[in-house]
Amino acid sequence: MRDKGPETEIIRLLKAGPGHVSGQGLSRALNVSRTAVWKHIEALRRSGYTIEASPSKGYRLLGPLPFNGIEVSSLLETEFVGRELFFHDEVVSTNSEAFGLARSGAPEGTVVMADSQTGGKGRLGRKWESPAGLNIYLSVILRPPISPEEAHWLTFVAAVAAAEAISVYCPERPVVKWPNDILINGKKAAGILLEMGSEPERVHFVVMGIGVNVNTTRPMFPDCIKNTATSVREANGAEVDRRALAARLLSSVELWYKIYLAEGTVPILSEWKRYFGFEGKEVRVASFDSTIEGVCLGVDETGALLVREPGGIVRRIVAGDMEAASSRCS
Amino acid sequence: MDIKDIKAIYKFLRETDIVEFELEGPDGKVRLKRGGAHAAHPLKEVSAPEAAPSTAPQKEPAKEEAEKAKPDNIKVVTSPMVGTFYRSPSPEASPFIEVGSVVKKAQTLCIIEAMKLMNEVESDFNGKVVSILVENGQPVEYGEPLFHIEVSK
Repeated sequence: MRDKGPETEIIRLLKAGPGHVSGQGLSRALNVSRTAVWKHIEALRRSGYTIEASPSKGYRLLGPLPFNGIEVSSLLETEFVGRELFFHDEVVSTNSEAFGLARSGAPEGTVVMADSQTGGKGRLGRKWESPAGLNIYLSVILRPPISPEEAHWLTFVAAVAAAEAISVYCPERPVVKWPNDILINGKKAAGILLEMGSEPERVHFVVMGIGVNVNTTRPMFPDCIKNTATSVREANGAEVDRRALAARLLSSVELWYKIYLAEGTVPILSEWKRYFGFEGKEVRVASFDSTIEGVCLGVDETGALLVREPGGIVRRIVAGDMEAASSRCS
Repeated sequence: MDIKDIKAIYKFLRETDIVEFELEGPDGKVRLKRGGAHAAHPLKEVSAPEAAPSTAPQKEPAKEEAEKAKPDNIKVVTSPMVGTFYRSPSPEASPFIEVGSVVKKAQTLCIIEAMKLMNEVESDFNGKVVSILVENGQPVEYGEPLFHIEVSK
């Protein structure tokens, strides 16, 4: 495991307590000067921790705990996903950031996470609402030993992982919309966007971006998505600990990614189908320049969506936006 | 028959001058047709310099001719996967490139999407875009030619 840095270690020691931890104790444990300890404490305060300092007793950590890289790292149970974690209070887009890191050689499992995004993106240049203090925006760098035509399976890996992690916090079972939006009560709670760097025969890396609406409440959503978006909190009824959900999400990503690499597409697709909620329903799929309506027949063994049009023709769709035919919003 | 078989057939066809291929079996029929894009956007007439004396067996004239027909400095960029071809990052944005655009190695030429996986196809060469063989928003197959790039000398 990599060196977690002195600030992570200070937080670990303060949490281990009990009560106050002396500056001298910290300085000895970290093998740095008391002044250095003080500087680290100041930095931790700036990043959102409340740390009480008493001249006679030392330091004590007071709640609530912030949402940051140290906290998410302290809860991680993964082997490699998130072990290299870049946390930003604000970033343009975690996917863009991760894409750049991947290009310059960041190892598999590297995660970029942010408290807010100024240019969070969805499919084809669409915006992903990314306000601060509420949600999870993260991107995982993967380097699967597969060819580009197999890479779309990571879309299904991401969907299964996100649905599994969200289901832990949600009384309603999340539903997956083809290929990978996560819906709760018919509204979108999480979105996934994968971007790949490749050459013809080989994937260099895939950036798996996942945005989860965690604690946004209905009045906070912009008008344009008010009727189509929801959050884990809306379903759960109480504020959700983003640190724990983020750590859980990274565990699920690692688990299903490993299953995919070890056992192939069958277990991924079968798990995905357990969450897919549209088989046998009327759906509409908007592609670039056409819209297909009909009865959803599920997906084929390649993951492509099958829709039977009223005339009986079955269409096989690899790209597009699917929605229930009864809904009018996109 | 699965996608791997079809790919194998496609790879085989690429090494020949066969443009259409049909195979019928107990589990269905597959028909492959290629060269449509080339036909619609013909390259310059055969004007390439004589190929260097080849050590390849004489029984492969088709392959040699195909190579001769394509000037050495014109490279084909093919689709790395089955998906939808996009010329711009979003419907409102301007295309990554136009015919005549000068491109650098690693510059994004287009996006191929398959099930929300976005693949930015990059140029392997420094050069100039001679032709764009697919229309925006159209489905593309694995190995389908997308662009012709005239490589800078």
